[in-house]
Amino acid sequence: MGELRVLFEHRDVPGIERMDVYESVGGYQGLARAVTMSRADVIGEVKTSGLRGRGGAGFPTWIKWSGIPADQPTERYVVCNADEGEPGTFKDRELMLRLPHMVVEGLAIAGYATNSSTGYIYIRGEFLESARAVRRAIDEAYARGYLGESVCGSGHRFDLHVHMGAGSYECGEETALMSSLMGERGQPRAKPPHAPLPVISGLWQRPTLINNVETYATVPHILARGGAWYASMGTERSKGTKLFSVSGHVAKPGNYEIELGTPLEELIALAGGVVGGDLKAVIPGGSSVPILTAEQCRGVKLDYESCMAAGTMLGSGGFMAFNDRTDIVKLMHVTARFYAHESCGKCTPCREGTRWMYRIFQRITAGQGRPEDVDLLLSICNNIDGRSYCPLGDAASWPIRASIQRFREEYDYWIEHGRSPVGDDSVPGIG
Amino acid sequence: MASDLVNITINGTPLQVPAGEMIIESARRIGVEIPHFCYHPRLSKEAGANCRMCLVEVASPRKNPDGSVTLAKMPKPQTSCSLPAGEGMVIETETPAIIEARRGILEFLLINHPLDCPICDRGGECPLQNNTLHYGPPTTRYVEEKRHLPKAFPLSEHVVLDRERCIHCARCTRFAEDIAGDAQLGFLKRGADMEVSVRTGEQFTSLFSGNTIELCPVGALLSRSYRFRGRPWDLMTQKSICTECSNGCNIKLDHRAGRFVRVNARLNEDVNEEWTCDRGKFGMDYLSGPDRLTTPLVRRGNRFEAVGWDEAIRRVAEELGQAGRKSAFLGGIRSSNEDLFVMQRLFREVLGSSDLDHRVGPSFDAEPVIGVGQGQVARAPMSLVELEGLSLFISFGCDMAWEQPMAYLRVRKGWRRGALTIASVARHGTAEDERPSSLAPISAVRVRHDEGGELQVALRLLGEVLRQGGDGTAVPAELAAKAESAVTEQGADAEAVRRLALTLFEAGKGASDGRSVAVWIGEAARTNRQLPDILQTLSAALSAAGVHGVVQVPAMEVNEQGARDLGIAPTWLPGYEQADPAGRNSAEILAAVAQGDIAALWISGLDLATRYSDPAAAVRALESCPFLVVTDLSLTKTAQMADVVLPVTSVAERNGTYTNVEGRVQRFWKAYDPPAGVRQEWRIAAQIAARLGTEIHYASSREVLADIAARVPLYAGCGPDALGDGGVRWASALAGEVGR
Amino acid sequence: MAANGHSGGGDRPMDTVSGRFSPEAVAELEEIVSHYPDRRGAMLPALWIAQREYGGSLPAEAIKEVAERLGCPPVEVEGVASFYTMYNLGRRGRRHLEVCTCLTCAVLGAADTLRALEEKLGIKVGQTTPDGEFSLAEVECLNWCEAGTVVQVGGRYFGNVTPDKVDALVEQIRQIQDTEAVTQADQIVKVQLARRHDGTADG
Ligand SMILES: Cc1cc2nc3c(=O)[nH]c(=O)nc-3n(C[C@H](O)[C@H](O)[C@H](O)COP(=O)(O)O)c2cc1C
Ligand code: SF4
Ligand code: FES
Repeated sequence: MGELRVLFEHRDVPGIERMDVYESVGGYQGLARAVTMSRADVIGEVKTSGLRGRGGAGFPTWIKWSGIPADQPTERYVVCNADEGEPGTFKDRELMLRLPHMVVEGLAIAGYATNSSTGYIYIRGEFLESARAVRRAIDEAYARGYLGESVCGSGHRFDLHVHMGAGSYECGEETALMSSLMGERGQPRAKPPHAPLPVISGLWQRPTLINNVETYATVPHILARGGAWYASMGTERSKGTKLFSVSGHVAKPGNYEIELGTPLEELIALAGGVVGGDLKAVIPGGSSVPILTAEQCRGVKLDYESCMAAGTMLGSGGFMAFNDRTDIVKLMHVTARFYAHESCGKCTPCREGTRWMYRIFQRITAGQGRPEDVDLLLSICNNIDGRSYCPLGDAASWPIRASIQRFREEYDYWIEHGRSPVGDDSVPGIG
Repeated sequence: MASDLVNITINGTPLQVPAGEMIIESARRIGVEIPHFCYHPRLSKEAGANCRMCLVEVASPRKNPDGSVTLAKMPKPQTSCSLPAGEGMVIETETPAIIEARRGILEFLLINHPLDCPICDRGGECPLQNNTLHYGPPTTRYVEEKRHLPKAFPLSEHVVLDRERCIHCARCTRFAEDIAGDAQLGFLKRGADMEVSVRTGEQFTSLFSGNTIELCPVGALLSRSYRFRGRPWDLMTQKSICTECSNGCNIKLDHRAGRFVRVNARLNEDVNEEWTCDRGKFGMDYLSGPDRLTTPLVRRGNRFEAVGWDEAIRRVAEELGQAGRKSAFLGGIRSSNEDLFVMQRLFREVLGSSDLDHRVGPSFDAEPVIGVGQGQVARAPMSLVELEGLSLFISFGCDMAWEQPMAYLRVRKGWRRGALTIASVARHGTAEDERPSSLAPISAVRVRHDEGGELQVALRLLGEVLRQGGDGTAVPAELAAKAESAVTEQGADAEAVRRLALTLFEAGKGASDGRSVAVWIGEAARTNRQLPDILQTLSAALSAAGVHGVVQVPAMEVNEQGARDLGIAPTWLPGYEQADPAGRNSAEILAAVAQGDIAALWISGLDLATRYSDPAAAVRALESCPFLVVTDLSLTKTAQMADVVLPVTSVAERNGTYTNVEGRVQRFWKAYDPPAGVRQEWRIAAQIAARLGTEIHYASSREVLADIAARVPLYAGCGPDALGDGGVRWASALAGEVGR
Repeated sequence: MAANGHSGGGDRPMDTVSGRFSPEAVAELEEIVSHYPDRRGAMLPALWIAQREYGGSLPAEAIKEVAERLGCPPVEVEGVASFYTMYNLGRRGRRHLEVCTCLTCAVLGAADTLRALEEKLGIKVGQTTPDGEFSLAEVECLNWCEAGTVVQVGGRYFGNVTPDKVDALVEQIRQIQDTEAVTQADQIVKVQLARRHDGTADG
């Protein structure tokens, strides 16, 4: 266990974002192999690999792929979720910037496997630099016949379009992403048990496959080297490697690829260790997952199951480490603001609850907290959790609830004294 | 069919429901009411399920790998308004967790709500208020400042929006998009800042805006005319029929102390479902208008003098009696069936005149419905429900949303489902092209012509139909030649007409029998007297080629259809029996008046002096009329020219029936007493007959209707006991259908 | 079910549209429209084109023009434009500085950086300099947390911004065209347009 580079094997090769260099290190071999196989065999290979979605939920990728009715005479769509907006996560940004061909190759494979002839890559509007790299890669891929009329001479057509977002975290949620892609407000759409899955009825009511950038980028490796090879890495149920975006109080923040199951402490060590003080807390999977105390971090392994067992989630791999200058209440104030700002407004609990929590945090950190505020926050979390239209509401409540459960004394201190328990130079500063 | 039913359990009660039915509906079947705000059965589900009030707990059967089945409880509560019933589902609606969830949702809804119920029009009939009483938290835990937004923001001349009260349920926006089709309301911004709005700087000019007032589950969208005029508990409600057009929307007429207050929709699945249009919802203020006449008036020189009824009736009877056959009747399109039936008896049986006409100006002389096949039923106007199922609807000079609002909604509904194609023929610069609610933008074929170009379009269409395979055997040679030359003529819309012909054949293909195509001729096209002939020929040519449909001149005024059916026409008697001898039509009557050939003219509920196609000619004729009697509610321009003006009861002041555009006879009920000095028109007519020595005796309007049913075969199924609340279409009754 | 979803015609461009789109812009729009099965799919790109054509913001006429070009009700276009933070419905400066004050940036001192920028520009968050050159805003996570504090200006990200670097940063921003709102909109449009699909792609 530890650092293990599959996606990042050639990340630092100069010019890797260009076709020639990418091809020279084995690029597009996965696609070339895929088109010689049956669609079912391609999906079988993904199944063998045990790959799970890297967008946050960790859903088995092959199940989605095989859910697409590939032989119905309708259009089908393949969509890449490149809206990376989860605070603390920046792996998709780098993948697209440095390894755009890997993403394009993965998408082309998915297009072939699901018999889709149109793909969209929904790139967050702010990610212009990455989008430019992807644009160039797509153009190069057309020129080489990896996209277009006949992918790798297979006779299968696949067109790939770039679609730019315009500033909305919620558009990373797959059904909201579809709304946005169809030109609507970025609000979520119904899912089972209320409506069919996107793989049955997605964009324009057609079967639609949506995966994360990293998920697609992994696929070429699985096809080139075999699902079994990929499955030989990682743990029993969390196979392969995963990118972690490490940020916060560490010496060398950045993206690291590790084998799933690697101890949390080892990732911190890879990132140069904690700076500016001792480790106080970790949010291992992006702002939406419950925060861990330094105590709780001990011995936790970074895979889906172990994180769950430790009372948090692997999420998107947005790993944030905080030193002991960090004021948890202020940190959650920032978190609450994020969700209040990004709530789409469609459903009651998320629209009203996130704003209410943010208001309470504003009051507490202004020194005007009331003793009942902490339980009120908990109660609001409970009233949002599980009742909102899409998981954004849940994601807004989990971190706050966990922070109260795990750092309650900091809340009580704020309320009693009207100032930070950590001291005047605590972070985050609030503007 | 059994296979379409699934077995579910709600709160321990097993029941069978149609697969896919929303659980909130299934629960109603066993009397379980699930509180909700955003859910509405007629609005799209896609944009719904947002209020989260209707949460329930659900367990579904799940197959285990070994084939056994276990009941798996879903980890999260589910919105019952969007949850389709599936086999084996077990639903709980009253668990502690659900009660708790509802309280939580209500608390969220209320934190930013101004709680100004005491001054809110909606107070007393507000779903938010009611649900809060039943399920809400007793006190608030919210101490932050509430959202502040402008109060009573005017969206249009009819509707104001109080944004602070809005709970973002999206009922209004979905109505605008799904039903009205104008999509004038939408949400702007996001999150807690999200707000309902028209586009910045625009007005809510939809012709259906009033419905959003009723749909809004709080007091956010309000009627400007009703604002602060009453509290729901002070109002009385009577079932009634809207009088503003021929569609005959079923309404609830709210009144207080003998005065009209407001209109709300009354459910009738076959007519207006639960909608009204703004013409009706905001157009019935006339009922309590300041200019209501309350006593008969008799002309003395240049002035009117108020007189008693005896004197007025004596005077009219004298004049009519002297005029005898030289009396004529115009109008009646706003009178009840009972009024009309007795009135035509007075003219035909007592005075011996056949000069009756309900049509204003040069509208069609032909029969108003040109159907395929023979017999009464085939000649029946199309039903509103039938419109939804057409494969092609052609609006010919008809400003649908304005002239035929409910028919418009039905056509749009059919289009939305995907099976109905729409074509629209109209003048350049027609209102249809400017309106927010319009068929024009959703028309697959749009033909636009210059002023007076209807005939040319019809000829060209006939020519194209003949070319493309229509059966020309029945087409007179002269007309065929005209049509042929029309096709070869150059014109801006040649291509569009060609496509229209293609569309017609296309529409005929799918449907094996029945009426799959309808052409509705609107007001703008009615001035052309040759048009119906051409269209009739066209219809024959098409039907011989297997395209079946109806060319219809739909009634426009509230009882225009009743006036047709009951023989307020020179050439036919009640029930379209041929009149012998035939009388003169409205144009001929006016000409006869001008020539001194008519001695007494009765105009009922029609301001001929302003509404006639050539108003100046009408005024000239009326001025020269030896004796003019007018029955109306107020002193219209026409009434001002009368010798005797007789004030009549309004729809709110008596019982009676109207027949709507689809031939549905519908009752209305007395809401409050009429002013002391007004009478029902049929009673006036009967009293005059009596004066002239003929007893036309009825004790009540109910008896008049019973007599109509007994004497007019067309209305045989529409007697007083058959009508119920929702009315009966005579065509359905003739065809032996029940319940329609 | 082949349902007709929208109220507008949806499938055909309006015959005549008055507005400010240049012929090139119209051509770009039509190419992008061809990427989707209906015109409405091109809503977000069309708003980007409009934001460029209208000089960096979306006034009411821009909303109307997009509505007409896509055959959508104007209120829906405004609803979309006002949903996303990157469309400029109000007044922003030519160069709009957005400071990430979300989690990582916040713990790395974003508040201090923001204050330094306010001082340097002489405006508060939410304001625009009198000459219309700069406006300043806080934004949620820009997702380049390894380089916190991150500042976005137009199409550019600047990383590791600390209070002492603010002076130099502002001068640098002045020099770079990418940092203009119009340029950003232009670049966002361009990445959605395919370049040559035949020969080799350009560099
Ligand atoms: C509020 C919210 C935001 C999300 N944002 C993203 C995102 O930015 N990128 C992403 O890939 N998935 C995101 N997701 C997850 C997606 O809904 C979806 O599960 C994912 O794209 C599926 O891809 P995968 O199976 O490859 O993980 C988000 C989910 C939620 C609820
Ligand atoms: S105005 Fe009324 S109907 Fe419209 S969203 Fe608000 S609460 Fe619902
Ligand atoms: S009624 Fe079901 S969510 Fe509103």
